[in-house]
Amino acid sequence: MFRKILLAYDGSEGANRALEAGIGLAKIHGAELWAVAVEEKLPRFSGTIDEVKEAKEFANQHFGKLLAAAKTRAGEAGVDLKTVLRPGHPAKTIIQVAKDGKFDLVLVGHSGVSGVWAAFLGTTAEKVSRHTPCSVLIVR
Amino acid sequence: MEQIWYTAAAWIGLALLASLISIRIGISVALVEIFLGFVAGNLGAYFGSILFVPNAWINFLAGFASVVLTFLAGAEIEPESFRRQLAPTLAIGFVSFLFPFLGAMAYTYYISGWNLQAAIIAGIALSTTSMAVVYAVMVETGLNETELGKLILSSCFITDLGTVLALGLIFAHYDYWLLIFVAVTVVALWRLPAMSRFVFARWSGRVSEPEIKFIFLVLSVLGALAVTARSEAVLPAYLFGMVVAGLFVHDKVLIYRMRSIVFALLTPFFFIKAGTLVSLPALIAGFGLLVILFWVKMVTKIIGVWPLCQVFKIPRRESNYITLLMATGLTFGSISALFGYNYGYIDQDQYSILVTVVIASAVIPTIIAQVFFQPREVGLRREAELAYYGTVEHFLHTADE
Repeated sequence: MFRKILLAYDGSEGANRALEAGIGLAKIHGAELWAVAVEEKLPRFSGTIDEVKEAKEFANQHFGKLLAAAKTRAGEAGVDLKTVLRPGHPAKTIIQVAKDGKFDLVLVGHSGVSGVWAAFLGTTAEKVSRHTPCSVLIVR
Repeated sequence: MEQIWYTAAAWIGLALLASLISIRIGISVALVEIFLGFVAGNLGAYFGSILFVPNAWINFLAGFASVVLTFLAGAEIEPESFRRQLAPTLAIGFVSFLFPFLGAMAYTYYISGWNLQAAIIAGIALSTTSMAVVYAVMVETGLNETELGKLILSSCFITDLGTVLALGLIFAHYDYWLLIFVAVTVVALWRLPAMSRFVFARWSGRVSEPEIKFIFLVLSVLGALAVTARSEAVLPAYLFGMVVAGLFVHDKVLIYRMRSIVFALLTPFFFIKAGTLVSLPALIAGFGLLVILFWVKMVTKIIGVWPLCQVFKIPRRESNYITLLMATGLTFGSISALFGYNYGYIDQDQYSILVTVVIASAVIPTIIAQVFFQPREVGLRREAELAYYGTVEHFLHTADE
């Protein structure tokens, strides 16, 4: 049923559970499995280009390592995980990647974030589930 | 009476707080430093504290920061993309400087009644474009790697060149000191690439940092000559950055070490100082002028840049985007306003309004450009582009090899 699965990955506990679910689903459906990591909070309205470059390099290292680890884990389970690293707003970027790549399932880990911020602003998982044109599975 | 360590602790504490807030909310540390400086300066004024009143050593660090910031901005030029799109880059960059310069100068002189020198400072401060703000916006979409992105960045570069030339030449005293300054600068710029190449190759990577001291020495000597000629130290700094740009790109160790020094010790003092001098009562009293000057900057940028984009057959959506990004400003605008204040060309009220307009221009056109006129971009990038990037140690190690 699913041909192309996108995993939203940030290295959190929830994202790792989603990775395991993604590996399982990719095997069952013979689907392509992709992981997208979003570099959020790069400095906006910057005073120097160097600030942006250094922040981007830092984020590249951090998320590059996370994606490399996820790729290794998937490889151990016999699944080829393709990775995408994008700067931007998490929910917006995941939705855009899902649209651009014509994915038919997006996997998002439940963050477990609760309280005031989540109540007012919603979690990334909620936003993705509301606006992505394909199916969304929130993994708990 | 000032106790230097209390003052240092207060300023560095504020800089640390700015870093933490910046990391948490994803807003540039420069903007947060200006804001915290504004809050601290106004609270200090209200309670009669001198802790956040800039003194001699803070003025030196802030002044040196502005010179190094300008040098780093000059070193960002990409000669190849600049040459490839020479005509549109020169035309858009020049007009983006000229129209707001003339517009803001005319408005403040004829309508607001500022004196000529203050009006010129207003023109210079509001003519600027922030290459860094533009770059930060484009990194999010990868647009900085496209021809359109490179055109915008190169045009920003020309606008900034207009700003430093105006700062350096309009207020200079046209006497023999200026001749000496120009002659030394020309010879230095001619010889500096070769000298820098030699210094970097011979002594780069040593713990005593001779290559960084060499850069600081050049900036100080040329800055001293510039100020003696009543010009401005940022002018030779920008030009020096331009001529060694190619060398800088390849020396990652040097870049990292420069950034460490600049971000830890220099720029916080510049941006916090820029904020402390912004007076809240002046902003309240001059709010109407503030709004008008913001629109003067926007309208003059639009009148200048947008038609030129059409002349160069840039599609409408992209023309709107370029125009709005060319209307941004931050660091060079702040440097220009602070220059005017330091030399007494503008008073604190005028400074407060100009810096606030500059900051507003960093935020408002950027958001409008991103929300409404983002050029439509790209699907998934190739996996190869997204490969593992390595650690800082990896960069330092490979750069040493």
